[in-house]
Amino acid sequence: MATDGSPKRQQFESEALVHLDTLYNVALRLCGNASDAEDLVQDTVTKAFRAWDKYEPGTNCRAWLVTIMRNTFINKFRRESRRPSAVQFDTIEDVSVFESVQDQDPEGSFFHSVVDDEVKRAIQDLPEEFRIPVVLSDVEGMSYAEIANILDLPVGTVKSRLFRGRRRLQQRLYEYALEMGYIR
Amino acid sequence: MTAFWKLGNWMGKAMPPPGGIDCCGVMQQLYEYIDGELDEESVEKVRQHLDKCKRCYPRYNFERAFMRFVGDQARVAAPPELRRKIFASILEEESES
Repeated sequence: MATDGSPKRQQFESEALVHLDTLYNVALRLCGNASDAEDLVQDTVTKAFRAWDKYEPGTNCRAWLVTIMRNTFINKFRRESRRPSAVQFDTIEDVSVFESVQDQDPEGSFFHSVVDDEVKRAIQDLPEEFRIPVVLSDVEGMSYAEIANILDLPVGTVKSRLFRGRRRLQQRLYEYALEMGYIR
Repeated sequence: MTAFWKLGNWMGKAMPPPGGIDCCGVMQQLYEYIDGELDEESVEKVRQHLDKCKRCYPRYNFERAFMRFVGDQARVAAPPELRRKIFASILEEESES
């Protein structure tokens, strides 16, 4: 990649563009398809470059970029309001899948029989309020505080959404494994 | 969920649960424990409980396996073509400013 050029661009490339995979992953989960995700990454990076003088060097660049992405998504790509409400599934997460599998598969080996595409689809089908915290935590390894900052939510809300999101995802993968006969 | 260990009363004897925390307390903090979000003192309590509790340890093991699985499966790399476009657009943006 080009490394010569202005100090601004050099600094942007070395501090911001190293997070391109993170941005793409988050964009994919937000948009649900590669084409919109690429547009969202492109818009986010352009905005971030224009606002680079507002970024404080040495602070959390990844969180700063994901915050820009979240705001860009809300303004330009939002379609979540057309998705079914999360409330209708409210009881699902009260029971852990562990209760159902503890006798035959307590180590959760059946998860590994679920194919990649089905895992991605299951994540995509989570309502956005759960999907984004799960992706930022379990896929990107962000802390609760970072996620709270990006989503502009209290840490306690992040914690409960992670709990519920994970339980729903677990349930969905379990149901798939049941349907496919990977588990009885 | 029925707690296996209850503070101050285990099998009819005055005996604290391992780590001084009962099963319900451990389950409530399980994700925070796995996520590394607890303070040192709480980590130690949960760890001591999990070391000894035959009921909680398999649950912990299951949740950890699930979270590792999701993390490993769901991550994708940005396509090379997107990477190329992004670098080109930054160059263009710079030449316009």
